[in-house]
Amino acid sequence: MKKSRLRFIAPIAVVTALALAGCSTSNLGGSSPADPAGDSGPIKIGAVLDVTGVGASLGVPEQNTLTMLAKQLNADGGIGGRDVELIILDDQSTEDGAAKATSKLIESEKVDIIIGASRTGPSLAMRPLAEAAKIPLISVAANVAIVADSQWVFKTTQNDVSVLETILNDAQKKGYTKLALVRDATGFGEGIADYITQLGADRGITLVTTESFEPSATDFTPQMTNVRGSDADAVIIWGINPSAGLAQKAYVQLGVNKPVYHSHGIANKAFFDTAGDAANGAIAAMGRLLVTDQLPADNPQRQVIEKFQADYSAAYGEQPSTFGGHAFDAWHIAVNAIDAVGTDPAALRDELEKAEFTGISGVFKMTAKNHSGLDASALILAEAQDGRWNLLKD
Amino acid sequence: MTQATTPALAGMLSPWARFWLNNKGTIIGCGILVVLMIVFPFTASSTAMNIVVFAMIFALPAIGLNLLMGLAGQVSLGQAAFFAIGAYTHAIMLTKLHLPGPVAATIGVLAAMLVAFLVGLPIMRLRGHYLALATLGLGFIVMIGVREWDVTGRTTGIYGIARPTVLGVPIDNNGFFLWFLTPFVVIGLILALNLTRSRAGRALSAVNDSELAAESLGVNTYALRLKVFVLSAGFAGLGGVFYAYQVAIVSPATAEFHLSVSILLMVVIGGLGSVWGAVAGAFLVQFLGEGMRDAIPAIFPGATGEVQLLGYGIVLILVILLLPGGLHQAATSLWAKLPFPGRRPPADAHAQATEDDFTIPILPNVSTPVALGEPILEISGLTKRYGGVVAVNEVNLTVPAGTILGLIGPNGAGKTTCFNMISGALVPTSGTVTFLGQVISGRKPNVAASHGLTRTFQNLQVFTSTDVVGNVYMGRYRQGTAGVLRGMLGLQSAEQTAHRAAAYEILESMRLTDAADDSASDLSFGKQRMMEVCRALAAEPALLLLDEPMAGLSGAEREVMAELLRRLRSAGLTIVLVEHDVAQVMSLADHVAVLDDGVLIAHGDPESVRNDPAVVVAYLGTDLDEAEADLNELEEHV
Amino acid sequence: MLTDFLQLTVAGLSQGSVYALLAVGLIAVYTVRHVINIAQGEFAMLAGLGSAWLTASGMPLFLAILVAILTVTLVAIAMERLIIARVKKLTPLISIILTLGVSTLLQAIMLLIWGPEAKGVPRFPGTNVLIGGVSIRSQEFWMIGALVVVGGGIVLFYEKSRWGKALRACAEQPVAARIVGISPVAASVLAFAIAGLVGAVAGVVSSPIYLSLWSGGVLLGLKGFVAAVLGGFVSFRAAIVGALMLGMIEAYVAGYVASGLRDGAAFLILILVLVVRPQGLVLKPTAVRV
Repeated sequence: MKKSRLRFIAPIAVVTALALAGCSTSNLGGSSPADPAGDSGPIKIGAVLDVTGVGASLGVPEQNTLTMLAKQLNADGGIGGRDVELIILDDQSTEDGAAKATSKLIESEKVDIIIGASRTGPSLAMRPLAEAAKIPLISVAANVAIVADSQWVFKTTQNDVSVLETILNDAQKKGYTKLALVRDATGFGEGIADYITQLGADRGITLVTTESFEPSATDFTPQMTNVRGSDADAVIIWGINPSAGLAQKAYVQLGVNKPVYHSHGIANKAFFDTAGDAANGAIAAMGRLLVTDQLPADNPQRQVIEKFQADYSAAYGEQPSTFGGHAFDAWHIAVNAIDAVGTDPAALRDELEKAEFTGISGVFKMTAKNHSGLDASALILAEAQDGRWNLLKD
Repeated sequence: MTQATTPALAGMLSPWARFWLNNKGTIIGCGILVVLMIVFPFTASSTAMNIVVFAMIFALPAIGLNLLMGLAGQVSLGQAAFFAIGAYTHAIMLTKLHLPGPVAATIGVLAAMLVAFLVGLPIMRLRGHYLALATLGLGFIVMIGVREWDVTGRTTGIYGIARPTVLGVPIDNNGFFLWFLTPFVVIGLILALNLTRSRAGRALSAVNDSELAAESLGVNTYALRLKVFVLSAGFAGLGGVFYAYQVAIVSPATAEFHLSVSILLMVVIGGLGSVWGAVAGAFLVQFLGEGMRDAIPAIFPGATGEVQLLGYGIVLILVILLLPGGLHQAATSLWAKLPFPGRRPPADAHAQATEDDFTIPILPNVSTPVALGEPILEISGLTKRYGGVVAVNEVNLTVPAGTILGLIGPNGAGKTTCFNMISGALVPTSGTVTFLGQVISGRKPNVAASHGLTRTFQNLQVFTSTDVVGNVYMGRYRQGTAGVLRGMLGLQSAEQTAHRAAAYEILESMRLTDAADDSASDLSFGKQRMMEVCRALAAEPALLLLDEPMAGLSGAEREVMAELLRRLRSAGLTIVLVEHDVAQVMSLADHVAVLDDGVLIAHGDPESVRNDPAVVVAYLGTDLDEAEADLNELEEHV
Repeated sequence: MLTDFLQLTVAGLSQGSVYALLAVGLIAVYTVRHVINIAQGEFAMLAGLGSAWLTASGMPLFLAILVAILTVTLVAIAMERLIIARVKKLTPLISIILTLGVSTLLQAIMLLIWGPEAKGVPRFPGTNVLIGGVSIRSQEFWMIGALVVVGGGIVLFYEKSRWGKALRACAEQPVAARIVGISPVAASVLAFAIAGLVGAVAGVVSSPIYLSLWSGGVLLGLKGFVAAVLGGFVSFRAAIVGALMLGMIEAYVAGYVASGLRDGAAFLILILVLVVRPQGLVLKPTAVRV
């Protein structure tokens, strides 16, 4: 009897202390307010990124880019005289984390617009929350499923379908008819096999074998053994770093000796760090960021990219990666729209559907039907050689 | 709690008053919790609110795990697996089959329980380390399974789970969600609290103290463990259901090992075996985790990711090393130090039984299923081999009902091995034991117990986590009927009161009433032995096996014991006893059997056995023989 | 086809030799203390990350490895002295929670020091070999070699040396061990030192191929446990055979079924073996129950 009562004291003490310490906020309001932050005070831009975990090679440059851009913008007086408050939350590269972070941004922080997530899986997890709360979301991940038929979700990364088209066109030109796919087992790699089969049909290309790997995988012997044993003419490795870099390394070590294509998921320095010399000869489809110096002087993107590279390396002492570019584009598209129509969510969305922007990843042209805004012209092919990318086609 | 009310007092009270007395702690505790949860959304910051919601969600799997670990002593490192199964099933039912919320949630919980049942069938046969690692493996299997299966959405998981609507009100903010969640947590809490105090709960903690003794009292440990495992999974599944609602996505991360660790941490911090501790632990771990996520990057610049694990690891180690009972222990010892006017002073040393009065005040009930003199126990060809060593060789014996058989022999003659085979603790290599016409050899001890055979142990098997009356009360296990479900619903207080009263009466027969409320582990060795006899008698057996009942008893206590055994025999009870004190056996037993080197060398009335030359030789063995006997003895204990 | 099979076998054997070393460490501790050390895999990751960090900061490869192995052995001894030895009554429940606590703590420390990314020790000297289409990476020779030298050394130590025999006796009869001249304290420290040593060796030799990750130890340690269970959890030799079997089974499952199911296969085997043949697949069943 007496003992048992005491057992409550611990939880009660903790709870009461927190209850008293916490300021009185409404935890009972709905999650879909018409105008979350009102027209005064700072404009709130939320971001959910893979700052840690398997997607960290994407999330960290994105975080850096956004932080840098927010600082620049506020130094220049914000948007229409209002400061911009950037709230970046780490989803730890998990879908749960992305969903929790999104709920927090919407319900607690009352942000006006959200950028993220870095990869497809977490972005898909965020999508229904943004749709339900009617808050615009700009993803920086690739899979076209993120924006398919969406009302409130946009994205700035080139569509995976466009990337595949670019790769398959090159394969067709080189006379490859049979392809093997080694893909990331997460949302980024999902559906890729189907796209290759569909897109390949017009080009006389068939997919002969598909292998998959976890982004956390370190041993690729079984996958590469199967690829080596197949009769494919060339191989597509579809993943992000470090796993895609490790796959490339195992690919060379196991002597597969077939031409290899990579996706835009590896367009950063980490690929060379992981794969080392084994990277030589790998061909990847990507945006123009990593080959700016090889672009013709009149390319419309060149000036934007060079300014971004200069700013980023001044701020962080290293060259930006493609992923920073995705965040750069998302940021500017969001800021331009807020600048034009303010923070009313519906107006903001309508404005985003009309957005046109020459950015790092390509020249965007959003429409009500196309929430991605980029086509295959945003992509180039480049070959890895001694730690740098050489432009093959533009 | 209930124990504090004496049976006599309880009998005089109205049902309502009795209900209040029996459940005061639960009612007050849940009342406070409910009030806090009602007030909280009005006062808490949104960050604190978020933590509280998750703490309440995780309180459910923590309560479940606490039942399994604290009560049944079984470590599970895969609690997140059932959490994930509940969450996934719920999500699939909602988003793919579009079932209504309550139906989907019920299916989610049932799915977790079903999987636990199927998995538990084989793995609940495992013990200790193996069980823990099997559950750890299970956690990984579930995580891999959901990651590789199309139905569970592979690595992305299932998203787009709509928030529930209750009576037309959408639960679309943390405050409403907390109100939506709290009733379920409170109900779960009450069920768990009731269970710990129920017949099944007592049996579980008895199993945890001594599996052998519990089985000998008729507890089917395997079935009971399996039930608790399934129940524990049900709690985890319910937590998963709410998690799916709250987070709106279910991904393989819900089956993560680190989640299992944090649930385990909640249980350990709160105190193993304390249901309230599990709830407190859930709050503490959530706050700790959140706090660490903020504090550690501040201390170690650049730290990212799951840095809260640093705190988890340290706390796990420190709690086990410094405060093994967790918050519960801290709270109770703090409470004991507080001055409290109404508290009973610690009882003084108990008055010894008057030295020369050996009368038995109350004789416990026994059961007499067969007529006096009819065979009640038949042993034929009983043999036990360990590798090349034969511990017991072809023993044949018949015990008539209503008699005392003394089993004697030099050290290592195989007496205890014989006993263990009769009671079911050991499987014979060959031969059979027939009790009341049923073959019981090779079955678990609880089978023999269910037919009316109970025993005591040479190496005492005391239920140390309860008091003396609690030990004897466990002996009533077979007389009770309430199962896990009735226990959880609290529908057995009348039954409990009756058995409690019976336990007091039996203690009185051994003059142990004064010590009834003492912790069993505080008793002297001799008193513990007498308590074990009381415990065995509480089962109202037809056959009582006593393994060295006189060892460690004082002269007076021996006299009481001998007198009790004689009176019990007169009442019709059959007794088989192994005893070193040959004189006692000769004076007490109707028949004596002598084992030497595993062979039955003599059997008959005390007088003829005393004069049997083979027996004399056996008891005058040389040193060499004795050494060998010691070896055999060692073998028996392996 | 045969080439593929052999290629997978090579991968399985090299991975299996890592499991074998971990299984040896687990058994060494279990026989003396009846503790299943959940932190066993963390020893490997700690050594891998440590030596990767040392080489990256300029230390010669083999010196870095040596320093890492010694440090981790000391960590294991510290774990025994500071934590395990402090508990008087080490029930399975307590020992599991304690070693789990150590495992979690070590993971967090690795995360704080070296961050969330996987890191690898540079490749050891040697050249990759291609025999009949089967490619064997030089590192794989090192991994199998480490098992032969270190694992074999431990087995010999236990079977031939006085101390080793005393340790074995310790497992069966603490009193007997004292007679041979080893105190329970020394036996326990020695067992943990062996566990730290083999764990660290496994960690550094596998790091160049499989990388070291702060959170990778639990799974790896668990694989070592599965291997030990396959061997019945008493005999080093049986456990090593079990580990090599496990490595190959995993490689075949990944190669012929689906790479994602690889870990699942290991744990399915674990549960099946625990339930159906608790004495392991390698040893003959004995009649002892209870």
